[in-house]
Amino acid sequence: MTAAAAGGLISTSRLGHAYGEIVALHHLDFEVPDGRIGLVGANGAGKSTLIKVLLGILSPTDGNATVLGHDVQRDPIGLRARVGYMPEESCLPLSQTAADFTVYAAELAGIPTKAARQRASDVLTLVGLHEERFRYLGEFSTGMKQRAMLAQAIVHDPELVFLDEPTAGLDPEGRAEMLELIARLGDFGINVLVSSHVLTDIESTCDWVVMLDGGRVLRTGPLSGITGSDTVDVELFGTHDVVIEHLQSRGATVEVRGKVLRISSEEDSFDMIRDVLAETGVGMRRLSQSARTLEDVFLAEGNVE
Amino acid sequence: MTAEQGAVFDLGYQPHEGPRLGRRGAILATLRDGLRRILGLRRKARKKIMPWLLFGIALLPVIAIVGLSFFTSTVLGEAGPENPFAGHPNIFTLTTSVFLIFTALAGPELLIPDRVEGVLSVYASRPMRISDYLGARAGALAVAAGGFLVLPQLVLYIGLASLHPDGWFSGLTANLSDIPKILLASLFYLLAYGAPAFLISMFAKRLGPAWGVYLAVMILSTAFAVAISEATAGIGRWAALAALSINPDIVMDWIFGQTTVREGISSAGFSPMWSVGVILGIAIVTWIVGLRRYRSLL
Repeated sequence: MTAAAAGGLISTSRLGHAYGEIVALHHLDFEVPDGRIGLVGANGAGKSTLIKVLLGILSPTDGNATVLGHDVQRDPIGLRARVGYMPEESCLPLSQTAADFTVYAAELAGIPTKAARQRASDVLTLVGLHEERFRYLGEFSTGMKQRAMLAQAIVHDPELVFLDEPTAGLDPEGRAEMLELIARLGDFGINVLVSSHVLTDIESTCDWVVMLDGGRVLRTGPLSGITGSDTVDVELFGTHDVVIEHLQSRGATVEVRGKVLRISSEEDSFDMIRDVLAETGVGMRRLSQSARTLEDVFLAEGNVE
Repeated sequence: MTAEQGAVFDLGYQPHEGPRLGRRGAILATLRDGLRRILGLRRKARKKIMPWLLFGIALLPVIAIVGLSFFTSTVLGEAGPENPFAGHPNIFTLTTSVFLIFTALAGPELLIPDRVEGVLSVYASRPMRISDYLGARAGALAVAAGGFLVLPQLVLYIGLASLHPDGWFSGLTANLSDIPKILLASLFYLLAYGAPAFLISMFAKRLGPAWGVYLAVMILSTAFAVAISEATAGIGRWAALAALSINPDIVMDWIFGQTTVREGISSAGFSPMWSVGVILGIAIVTWIVGLRRYRSLL
C-alpha cells in the first residue's frame, strides 16, 4: 500500500456536487489514509453521490478530489483502471453465468482473457461461489448475488474498492459473511471504502471513518479516535454523594447515570478517582473508560432522522 | 498429519502482475460481449434459436441460386456467371426483410438488458467512456449485421466465380469491382436499419415492446410516407424521405448503377443523395441522443 505515503488514499478539497438546484455534497474537505474506510451517514446523506464523484462518474460542481493520486476530473480513465466498484443496486446480467460475467468484468478492466479466466475462478472461490459459478445469475439468491457483485468489483485486483451498502438486503448470517469477506480484503492489500448506514457494520470492519450528514462531513478520523472517550465510568458500593462532592471539589465534572458516575476531568480521571475513593473509603464495583459507539456519536453530533 | 493424509492449502489472494490493456481492452471486451449477445453465445439455448435461424434463412436463397446456376451451367449448359439468376442487388432485396427482423432482435438485446439490470454501473466503473460503450455496442451490431448482409453476397460472389468458363480465379477477379459496392451498400443498410433500432432501444424498458415498436416504425413509416407523398403534391412530397426502409434500397440501386423505380422517393423526384442524407442524419442524431441519454443515466 503506497497511497498514504503519496499523500492519502482519497483527498478532497471543497468538493461539492449538486443535482440542479439540489445540493448533495457541500464543500467536503477530508483526507483518508490506506486501509478500510467507513463512509457512514443516514439515507440521503450523500454517500452514493460521493462514491460516484470519487469514481469520476459524476463531475464535481465545486472543488476537486484525488483518489490514488488521480484527479477524478482530469484522469477518470486512469483512476478507474485501478479501482473497483460494487454498487448499491444490482448490477448483474441475469442471462449470464457467474463465471462468464466475472471473466467479462475482469476483461472490462483491461485484464487479458486468459488471466481473466484464472482470476475469475480464483475470486469466485474466494467469495464462496466456486460451486455455483456455472449457474445463471438470474437463479441466484440475494446473498449469492451480493457475493457475485463483490467478485466483479475485485476480480481485476484493484488497489481500492468502493462498496456501496454491501450488506443491503442480506439476512444476519449473510451479513456476517459479507463483513468477514470485506475485512479479509484489507489482508490482501486492497484498500476498501465501505458505505453503509448500518453503523455496526462499519465498526466491525473499518479502521477509519468519514461521517456524512446532509451532504457535509460531520466527523472524520480513526475509528478509535471517534468512538474513544476521555470520560470514565465508575460504579460504587453505597452512597455516591460524598464521592461526587470530593470529585467536584477537584474540578471534575460528574454526571449521574443510575448507579454509574460518568466523570470527566482535565486531570487524569483514573488517578483522581483512586485518590477520592481512598480519602472517602467508599468501595468500587467497576471502573472503565466510557465506551461510545458510532451511533452515540452520530446521535450526539448529527442530525439523524 | 502425514503426507499420505494429504493437506488443503489456502492459496489466498493472488495479485495480478501481468499486463493491463486499459481502455482498448475494455472496448474490445464490450464488442466481443455484444457479438455473443446478438448470437446468443454463452446464453441459454432459446437465445441462440432466432439469430442462427435468421442467418440460415438469409443464406438459403443464395445457396439455391448458386446451386441452380451450377445445375444449369454444368448439366444443361445454359446459364453461366454472366447470366446468373440473381445478381448482388437482388440478393440485397431478398436479404433485407430477414435483416429487418434480425436488427429488431439485435438492437434491443445489445442495449436494454445492460440498462434495466443495472450493468451500466459496472461499465461506468471501468476504464472507458460512454462513447466507448455505445461505440463498442454499435461495432458489435456492425460486425454481426455486416456478416449477415455480406456473407450471402460472398457466397454468391464465390459461387458464381467457380462457374466462370476461365476458372475460379478469373471469376473472382472479373467481378472484383463488386466487392466495394457490396460493402458500401451493406454499410448504408446497417445505418438505415441499425440506427432506429438503437434509438428505440435507448428508451425502451423491455425487449418485446422494443421489437414491436421498431418493426412498426420501419414498416409503417414507409407505408405512411409513400401514401402521403403520393396523395399530396408540393410540400407533401417531402414525406417520401421518411420511408425508412426504402432509403437504403435507393442508395443500393445507386451504388450498383441500377435504375429501379422505388415507391415514393423516386416518384417524388428526389435524387439518391437525399436518401444518403436522411440515413446519415438519423445515424448522427441517434449518436448524439445516445450520448445525452446515457450521461443522464449515470
